[in-house]
Amino acid sequence: MVSEVLPDIERDPGARPAIRAAGLVKTFGTIRAVDDVSFDLAPGRIYGLLGPNGSGKTTLIRLLTGMARPAAGTVEVLGVAMPSRPNLSRIGYMTQSDGVYPALTVGENARFFAAAYGVTGDAAVLDALTLVDLADRQGDVTSTLSGGQRRRLSLACALTHRPPVLFLDEPTVGIDPLLRVQFWGHFRTLAEAGTTIVVSSHVMDEADRCDELLFMRSGRVIARGTGRQIRDRAGTDDLEQAFLAFASENGVGR
Amino acid sequence: MNARRLRAIFRRVVSEFRRDHRSIALLFAAPILMTGLITFIVREGQAPSVTVALVHGGSPIGQVVSDRLRSALEAEDITVIAAVDESAARAAITNGQADVGVVLPVDLGRPGATITAITNGMDPIGEGTQLGIVRGILVATATAALDAPLPTVEHATAYGVPTDDPIAPYAPAIVGFLAYFFVYILTGISFLRERTGGTLERLMATPVTRGEIVTGYTLGFTLFAGLQVALLMIWSLGTIRVPAIGPLPEFAIGLGVATAGNPAVAFLVVLLLAVGAVSLGIFLSTFARTELQIVQFIPLVIVPQFLLSGILFPISGLPEILQPLVGLMPVSYAVDGLRQVFIAGADLSSGSLQLDLLVLAVIAAFFGLIASLTIRREVA
Repeated sequence: MVSEVLPDIERDPGARPAIRAAGLVKTFGTIRAVDDVSFDLAPGRIYGLLGPNGSGKTTLIRLLTGMARPAAGTVEVLGVAMPSRPNLSRIGYMTQSDGVYPALTVGENARFFAAAYGVTGDAAVLDALTLVDLADRQGDVTSTLSGGQRRRLSLACALTHRPPVLFLDEPTVGIDPLLRVQFWGHFRTLAEAGTTIVVSSHVMDEADRCDELLFMRSGRVIARGTGRQIRDRAGTDDLEQAFLAFASENGVGR
Repeated sequence: MNARRLRAIFRRVVSEFRRDHRSIALLFAAPILMTGLITFIVREGQAPSVTVALVHGGSPIGQVVSDRLRSALEAEDITVIAAVDESAARAAITNGQADVGVVLPVDLGRPGATITAITNGMDPIGEGTQLGIVRGILVATATAALDAPLPTVEHATAYGVPTDDPIAPYAPAIVGFLAYFFVYILTGISFLRERTGGTLERLMATPVTRGEIVTGYTLGFTLFAGLQVALLMIWSLGTIRVPAIGPLPEFAIGLGVATAGNPAVAFLVVLLLAVGAVSLGIFLSTFARTELQIVQFIPLVIVPQFLLSGILFPISGLPEILQPLVGLMPVSYAVDGLRQVFIAGADLSSGSLQLDLLVLAVIAAFFGLIASLTIRREVA
């Protein structure tokens, strides 16, 4: 049971950042996987965390969700310092692997995670399954689903508690273009309803669907801004070129 | 068969296995460890220390035989205490002061006289060895002291009745051990899937606590362990006679092992052991990356329990250096508890059964605690 009192975020949205990172550092041995990252992210927007594999996106998300403890720096989500177990009930986290139980049915998986988040009643579970178009597949055993359907179920499991903050770690990897378009439609719907979304990707062509981009390279945020701002600053219309320009500017080129 | 392709497959197998250091270590170390342990137990197994409670029976010839027997026994490093009568000897055995009682009859020396040798009855295999030693000396002494033909030596036990059912000594131990083994494998593998399948990571991103996970797992698997143990109990204790149907002859289902105590109490003992096995499975799944590695823990974790819990080798006959390890084996408490129930008919008011249950509960709680500590998250 989550008994701790959490600040009421509904009363005054926008008054403070949904997510605040300050001086975040995470090291693995001599490698600085996240290297002095600070930012404020406003509520109700989609933030794209872009960077090549190994640039520290997943580690940063793990720090923001409190799954890992930083070597230095602080994280606040909705005004609560992370790591905080009670605060997890207000955070949705879709991991890179599907993280659903293959032997359970679609409905059982969604209801299990809903219960783990402390959700009572079935409305939110049905909403989440409807959003990803799986409401009529509730009785199907998960292992019989296609890869894309499993991915959709994984997203639904992160939404069963209607979290105001949502972290999506490479949600569109390995899914077909049609489903990818649907996914981004879902993300936009959620953001318009006030959800703050942080979505990581290494596919630059997804970037324009985000409200703001954070380019990551070698554990650092090397650029931040809307797609337009980043293109203008780099002086190119190609985001990949822009990324490379910022990477070499920061002395962390290939 | 294409030699090139064959060679490629062979090389792949070798190079993959070469990188799995634990499998290699186990491939060579586990057989050496296991054969070494078994050889050590069998070869260095000591003649068990024996204490004899001796009743001379009151007749003059009984006094003589008793005195000679005492010095003959003591010459073999066997401790002898005197008991006034058979019930005193039985009391000495049940409260652990003596292992074997020798009761000389009043009519010793006359035809038809019977010497009674009493053992506890709880550990038939171990007591058999102790009884054998005492009986050998007894026969030699009595034959020399008496001019009459050797009196019969009858074996009695303080608990239960001496049985010639060869499975009786093993049945309680095997029920307990099998439950432990299967519950460990089931939990270990399913929790490993939880770790490697990404669901644990995801579960950790919810407000669920580690204690809730371990307790929930324990409840779930204890349900199945409970059903398994219940079925195993019915199977080993029961006998269902199926009458002849048509051409089929009459036959019986079930092992029909006799029990002196309440099977429900025995069930409780095994259930507590199984709860400990759930936590052990969760704990060891931390150190495994594949299901194979869960299986690889068997020679390290499960086999020693089998060898050191008095299932095959009586604890009293284990080499002295291994004796302290017995106390560390959860299975040994369950085996003892089950023998208390099956053979001595102990119920929940028995002090030594209560101790077994308490230790099993403490072990389960301890492993539950360290299992929950292996589920890593920064926010406990």
